[in-house]
Amino acid sequence: MSTILKVKNLRKEFGGVVAVDDNTFSVQQGERLGIIGPNGAGKTTTFNMIAGYYKPTAGTIEYEGKRISGLKPHRISRMGIGRTFQIVRAFGELSVFDHVLTGVLAHELHFRPTPEQIEKAEQILELTKLNPFRDTLVKNLTIASQRRIELATALATKPRLLLLDELMAGLTFVEIDETLEELRKINEEMGITLIVVEHVMKAIMQLCQRIIVLNYGRIIAEGTPQEVANNKTVIEAYLGEEEKYA
Amino acid sequence: MEKTTLARGTSKTSLIRNGVIIAVILAVFIVIPQVTSEYVTYVVVLALIYAVLAGSYDILTGYTGPLTFCHGAFYGIGAYTSALLTLRAGFSFWLALPVSGITVFLFAALIGYPALRLRGHYFAVTTFFFGHFIYLVILNSVKLTSGPMGLRGIKAPESILGLNFSTLQGSYYLIFVFSIIIVVLLYLLVKSGIGRVFVSIRENEELAEAIGINTSFYKVLAFSIGAGVAGLMGSLFAHFFRLLHPTTFAWMTSEMVVIMALVGGLGTLIGPIIGAGIVTLILELMRFAPELRFIIWTVALIAVLVIEPRGLMGLIRRVKGGEK
Repeated sequence: MSTILKVKNLRKEFGGVVAVDDNTFSVQQGERLGIIGPNGAGKTTTFNMIAGYYKPTAGTIEYEGKRISGLKPHRISRMGIGRTFQIVRAFGELSVFDHVLTGVLAHELHFRPTPEQIEKAEQILELTKLNPFRDTLVKNLTIASQRRIELATALATKPRLLLLDELMAGLTFVEIDETLEELRKINEEMGITLIVVEHVMKAIMQLCQRIIVLNYGRIIAEGTPQEVANNKTVIEAYLGEEEKYA
Repeated sequence: MEKTTLARGTSKTSLIRNGVIIAVILAVFIVIPQVTSEYVTYVVVLALIYAVLAGSYDILTGYTGPLTFCHGAFYGIGAYTSALLTLRAGFSFWLALPVSGITVFLFAALIGYPALRLRGHYFAVTTFFFGHFIYLVILNSVKLTSGPMGLRGIKAPESILGLNFSTLQGSYYLIFVFSIIIVVLLYLLVKSGIGRVFVSIRENEELAEAIGINTSFYKVLAFSIGAGVAGLMGSLFAHFFRLLHPTTFAWMTSEMVVIMALVGGLGTLIGPIIGAGIVTLILELMRFAPELRFIIWTVALIAVLVIEPRGLMGLIRRVKGGEK
């Protein structure tokens, strides 16, 4: 296994507030990594730096051996990093099919979508089980469905690394199970490396092979789900909050 | 806003129906100068120019999102560029037309690149002042533009293939054909992959970036295309009217274009075009009360925005049923 993402001494300050404090970690090709931590721990800020939405105050991010910190989001997307957002973002006025097709077109723009591109969009609808909604306008769907559409559209850009920010927030248990199965498929069959930020503990414990715990911008623990769950510092950081989320 | 569908065909009956509608509309426009008075022909020419202006305005504001208030300025730059090229540099109209379109396109790219880094209201306000700035430049560059005295002696387009464009009828057909070509090109643009990219930026700029779209580039492109078309129409106007005055390109014109697009329905292309026709017609009908017409007009506009903010096209869609 080779390293797909290498984050070194990554730091982000907003005014005087240190959101991410000199973190170093790396991600292996094909891995399913989870990032957890209480609200404001710096999880989303880390994502935003990897995806190019924030410029790091200090430190570097390397993806497939190339330095990506400081690049624009669209450049990073084109290098093969896809993402979803914590607060769902969607092209509301498009139909579900057009939404996914836009993802396919984004990297390879043709005057008219080619038959292969349409075929690709069809495949992704099939995979993400969005077929029943293909002609519905995205804005008329539930938040849960919009999250799936966001995921489907990210997949349409053929990423090799996918950053998923609270993909399962607000889902029912059944929906969480379905999503977990789907994510495993994406990881194992399509070979996409996953980094997952999640508050749903059950989900992240089941899905991830390794977990990083952040608190006040610092990595306080790292290990398998089992190790992390039994770690004293982690339990302290959550101050019993894990009962609420478990 | 329009529901965009690319990969789906239209049914045969609706294709025939649309074909018939288009044929009838074209026929009406072709006979207008033959059967109506010079005055009506003249008004229709202005309506055509406004229709294309509103349609090109829709490329940025309707399809891509950012609100601008400077379309009249681009129209003016095109008009003065074309007039001065023919008057001072000896260009023929047929060369000055594309040159002024390209000039305005490049000029807009130059302005748009830094300005479009601003978002929302900040960008809109910037364009408003930019529009006014251009007006002041035209007004005060007396040596170049004759400023408030107006630029006179502009030539009619040279005749080609034995067609004479110096008469009202000749100008009418020239501007009519040209408008059709531009509208068809704009239609192809918004239905293309590029049009789809524009819409994705309007719908959610951050998501568009996340899937790999260079949003700043496409926003500048949309801005420049809209401006370039306005420049072309400015050139046509200059050689049709043959007298340019700075007030023609003052903020009122920019405002008119915004109103036309709003009345018709942003992001539909055909909406702003129809909106231009309606607004021109209403303004002409209200000529009997020049002081009152803007008051009446403003009240009417507020009414439109309260009743159906998506304009005429939104109203049509609501009447047809289905989508709210």
